[in-house]
Amino acid sequence: MSDAPSHEAGSWILPKWMKCPQDLVGGVALMLVALFALWALSDLQGMRGFSFGAGTAPRMFAVLLLVLGAGIALSGILSEGAHLQKMHWRGPLFVVAAILFFALAIRPLGVVVTAFVSFMIAAMGSEETRWREAAIVGACLTLGCAILFPYVLGLPMPMFPRFLNQ
Amino acid sequence: MDLFANLAHGFVVALSPINLLMCLIGALVGTLVGVLPGIGTIATVAMLLPITFGLPPVGALIMLAGIYYGAQYGGSTTSILVNIPGEATSVVTAIDGHQMARQGRAGPALAIAAIGSFFAGCVATVLIAVLGAPLTKLALAFGPAEYFSLMVLGLIFAVVLAKGSVLKAIAMIVFGLLLSMVGSDIETGASRMAFNIPELADGLGFATVAMGVFGFAEIIRNLDAGAEMSRDLVQQKITGLMPTRKDLIDSAPAILRGTVLGSILGILPGGGATIASFGAYTLEKKLARNPSRFGRGAIEGVAGPESANNAAAQTSFIPLLTLGIPPNAVMALMVGAMTIHGIVPGPQVMQKQPELVWGMIASMWIGNLMLIIINLPLVGIWVRLLRVPYRLMFPSIVIFCAIGIYSVNNAPVDVILAGVFGLVGYWLIKHDFEPAPLLLGMVLGPLMEENLRRALLISRGDWSVFLTRPLSAVLLAVAAALLVLTVLPALRSKRDEVFTESES
Repeated sequence: MSDAPSHEAGSWILPKWMKCPQDLVGGVALMLVALFALWALSDLQGMRGFSFGAGTAPRMFAVLLLVLGAGIALSGILSEGAHLQKMHWRGPLFVVAAILFFALAIRPLGVVVTAFVSFMIAAMGSEETRWREAAIVGACLTLGCAILFPYVLGLPMPMFPRFLNQ
Repeated sequence: MDLFANLAHGFVVALSPINLLMCLIGALVGTLVGVLPGIGTIATVAMLLPITFGLPPVGALIMLAGIYYGAQYGGSTTSILVNIPGEATSVVTAIDGHQMARQGRAGPALAIAAIGSFFAGCVATVLIAVLGAPLTKLALAFGPAEYFSLMVLGLIFAVVLAKGSVLKAIAMIVFGLLLSMVGSDIETGASRMAFNIPELADGLGFATVAMGVFGFAEIIRNLDAGAEMSRDLVQQKITGLMPTRKDLIDSAPAILRGTVLGSILGILPGGGATIASFGAYTLEKKLARNPSRFGRGAIEGVAGPESANNAAAQTSFIPLLTLGIPPNAVMALMVGAMTIHGIVPGPQVMQKQPELVWGMIASMWIGNLMLIIINLPLVGIWVRLLRVPYRLMFPSIVIFCAIGIYSVNNAPVDVILAGVFGLVGYWLIKHDFEPAPLLLGMVLGPLMEENLRRALLISRGDWSVFLTRPLSAVLLAVAAALLVLTVLPALRSKRDEVFTESES
């Protein structure tokens, strides 16, 4: 479970004045989020006399985030700290792909097909997956979910692909 | 007396067969999911939130509370048996608990954890009952200015107690506040940062973000380490569950101290179970005659933190039930659950729906009793569960979470959003930002905006209202003092010491 900061990763491309690239990158990213929010909020009304407009509070928070992001970025330049940790692509890619597939397929294809296919996509996120084993567990899980959610818990959701019901 | 009448009323509600069943299911399911490594309490509660939708409000809350302390209990089981803390709260339990298990004393370690938790739970239940009514009265004296200042204090507490950089923790809170602003403005109805996406008009769902940042992000991060995490599973059969007389004598004072410390830290906003268990471990180590025993299987090192985290887990309901302010991320989820059932947490709940509040309080006590009775014989099953390889577990969790999120609103967009927040959460973890303060900020955001607005409207735009009203001034002064103390370097180094000890 431990994320030992990998010192090799990326350190060779970074100039020396960046003492803590992790904080610098983190701070700059937060500043970008804040700037984006300020842009998105720009058409909202501000203070009217002493009463708040729709944009007042969010703008306050966004400015605060901008300042804090700048502070973190600055501390990343000034003080020693951790290097960037290596980001992996396989886990995030397949897990997110499974989630996306689920979101897009649940309405047209129903629980049974969607849950099983998403399971198999997610399983690709690890190198250690054994296909036959994963398929068996996926099938059992699908069955369990198909009974648990619509019947036991009474949550309405389509079971089978739409084209089969017609 | 009022107090006993209330408690008795609560027990009548909680002891009804249907609520007993809810409590049992909640505690069992909570333990089950809590045992699975890689899913913390917050993710557990978020994930299981949908299964309470079809229930009546009282039953639903009783079940959720059961899931909460069940998860906590499950977390300590894994940290003792496999040295994988299921939750942040049981990180310190793993230090001595797992050593005990290696010495073949897993049984007594588990039993002491359960007994300590049960004792702490009893004390905390009484405390909630005693403090509930007076605090509710106090809450009625609170105006918008006081509410705002109290929330500032709570957020500062969360910062002070978070581990790592203060600046980063504050930034996470503000990020959460900003996220909470997405959606329609309550007063003017203007759409804010919703980009014409209809599903965003209602704001970002709290459960959605929680599931993304805590559920999906954790899974993705665990995959980094290789699906096969080092599992130092204690293989030998667990014999002799009951602790010896010496164990009991050794751990009794630790349980008592842990309970007191945990109860206090739980009530404080921003506190909660995690800091309580760390605090209790440090306290036990400081008080011990022979501190070198710690880390080598000292039973006090299990008893203290486990009692403390359970006491804190329960007393953190106090600010929620009396003031309507969630002191930590799990309580924030509880607010979400209450809102779904049409209950607005706060002082009026105690008066308008006494059966709900007291029923839940009584059910906590019953739930703890159930946990102690059910779980000790079930330890074998929990251990077997741990042998399920992660490569099969993580896709199952992904699917279960996805169905759960979808069923909240029947909205596929929510599932996509949770996925996005999973990536955000992964990025945050990789850059050493803690996601818990973000969640707290997100819950308190709308409350803060509303009270700030109202306070300034009442004072006709005069910002000094926060300092001229005595109660509000005191709260802000405490918050400022806390922040100054934390930033002071001398105290900083001490604070780090507390946390690094646990990681050694």
